[in-house]
Amino acid sequence: MTEAGPSRTPCIGVIANPVSARDIRRIVANAGNLQITDRVSMLLRMLGAAGSTGVKKVLMMPDSGGVSAMLLRSLQRELQLQHNFPQIEFLDMSPTTTVNDTLLAARMMRDAGVKAIIVLGGDGTHRAVVRECRDIPIAGMSTGTNNAFPDMREPTITGIAVGLYASGKLSAAQALVQNKLIEVSINEGERRDIALVDAVISTDRFIGARALWKIENLAAVYLSFAEPQAIGLSAIGGLLQPVGRREPGGLAITLSDDPLLRRVQLLAPIAPGMVRPVGIAHWEAMPANQPFTVALDAGVVALDGEREMTFDSGDRVQLTLIENAFPTVDVAACMQFAACNGLLRLSSQPT
Amino acid sequence: MAASNPFPLSKEALLTCYRTMRTIREFEDRLHVDFSRGDIPGFVHLYAGEEASAVGILTHLGDGDRIASTHRGHGHCIAKGVNVVEMMKEIYGRTGGCGNGKGGSMHIADLSKGMMGANGILGAGAPLICGAALAAKYRKKNEVGICFVGDGASNQGTFLESLNLAAVWNLPVIFVVENNGYAESTSRDYATAVNSYVDRASGFGIPGITVDGTDFLAVYEAAGEVIKRAREGGGPSLLECKMVRFHGHFEGDAQTYRAPGELEDVRVNHDCLKIFSAHVVSAGVISSDELAAIDKSVLALIEDSVQQAKAAPLPTLADLTTDVYVNY
Repeated sequence: MTEAGPSRTPCIGVIANPVSARDIRRIVANAGNLQITDRVSMLLRMLGAAGSTGVKKVLMMPDSGGVSAMLLRSLQRELQLQHNFPQIEFLDMSPTTTVNDTLLAARMMRDAGVKAIIVLGGDGTHRAVVRECRDIPIAGMSTGTNNAFPDMREPTITGIAVGLYASGKLSAAQALVQNKLIEVSINEGERRDIALVDAVISTDRFIGARALWKIENLAAVYLSFAEPQAIGLSAIGGLLQPVGRREPGGLAITLSDDPLLRRVQLLAPIAPGMVRPVGIAHWEAMPANQPFTVALDAGVVALDGEREMTFDSGDRVQLTLIENAFPTVDVAACMQFAACNGLLRLSSQPT
Repeated sequence: MAASNPFPLSKEALLTCYRTMRTIREFEDRLHVDFSRGDIPGFVHLYAGEEASAVGILTHLGDGDRIASTHRGHGHCIAKGVNVVEMMKEIYGRTGGCGNGKGGSMHIADLSKGMMGANGILGAGAPLICGAALAAKYRKKNEVGICFVGDGASNQGTFLESLNLAAVWNLPVIFVVENNGYAESTSRDYATAVNSYVDRASGFGIPGITVDGTDFLAVYEAAGEVIKRAREGGGPSLLECKMVRFHGHFEGDAQTYRAPGELEDVRVNHDCLKIFSAHVVSAGVISSDELAAIDKSVLALIEDSVQQAKAAPLPTLADLTTDVYVNY
């Protein structure tokens, strides 16, 4: 943790996923679609706010999905209107419109020494950034489908908070908070990945259209935190036995619709617009650093809502909760500190 | 050892899909060679590399379901069941072709198969499929219409008007945007104000989704849901397949707009046939030998279709004035 103090060239990174909230749940569950226009408007509000609190330079991930192109046009317009923004620089990389863009951009931003990365996306986009660099603080802005991880918050406020931290007006101890995640390992590390919120075991055995929405195919759910007001598969845990983001431990749940095995049947919002009965056979706390071995013989591991890792008979799949795994900018705490310490007061008259 | 099948299709169905994709690939690769020799009149736009889209979507359809295709239509025709020999004759400009040798590559049609035609006019298939979908709605047979457009055609007024029409009439139609990244040679960022086809659909109240068009299983699963929705009265939707093409926009295109090494990367890492084969072989459902046997028989089919096309007579002068008008 570094102390607060002026930073010479306060620089942040911004990764905006143009294709989050584009999967099949728009068809099967009436999930929303945040348009590119809205994503760019969010970026403009956030960038302007970050600049007003001291960010001088922003490294952006380029994309071929429309965000970069519209942002560039919008910035030209804003500059003609004499509106102030930090210097925006796009990373020198060729977009592929796959998760590899996010991974590469996060790596390049870390190498360039950004103080924080602002992420526009759903749980999956945030997961990709953390997978690549767990040491750079991230601040999430929700543009995905389920969004259990990033806050639903006005981007202007996120921009102010990140700007205060990146420009050294807030220290890491004042601005950041540590988070849990779940590590997934197949065959003692032969294949590895992480989930920020939920790792779900499905009897599906192919990746296909990635999203999960058929509750009858789900076998087990492992959660780093589970909030009752969440949308998505973590809501199962949230409505069964809530676990806070800042509490120790997670939750492991075995699902079954077999009346002989089922101990609880609860109604859960497993996706936007999909409230389904879920049969639960067993649940238990998931202590940190204790591997849980998957009982299902063959299937797929879905990470933060998307099928990612298939496994077959003979594969050993283990999931482990890790605490203090990566930092995020605690926007509410930043704003509270700023208010209490007058960080945003431009002048004061003696009373 | 026979492994259990983890896929949403039977082994027989998977083999059929592979055969269809391989047929498209060999058909197009053969045209690539024959066109460069000067054997083929007119113009061809090849679909090689994009097979998972046509087959992943059209496997869900029957002959009563209709499709409207594009200038890059050979793959859609083959996946919809149009006779390969008749297609080859048509492209060679010979009698016995789908249009008796008078239409060529961009006018292949077979209404008995629900194939309303390839189309040389960008975006022209969209209003056609709205008509077909309206007819299907009146017939109450749960049939659907599918319109393919490229990313460039999505800027055409016909496409945007059709989105509106399909939405207000709640037509059983799916607009498939086959996004291979290039509108001929124009970048989308240059030519498109809102560079998202899903957003285009949203503007008309139509749900849209994006899928990896190089992964047959992803396309098949997503297409199954949008087609089911349309059959059940849920109305139109848009499916964007992000894909790659192996050849130029047209044959003879020097492709100077591609980055160095891009084509090699596409062929090595994004070949939908290789991806499909890896899935089914590693799962132990289909053996490499079974796939190789299909490859061999497809090659023979394509060779036979070329020989038949070359042997067929050209249309005569008298044929110019036939098939111009149709009596209703």
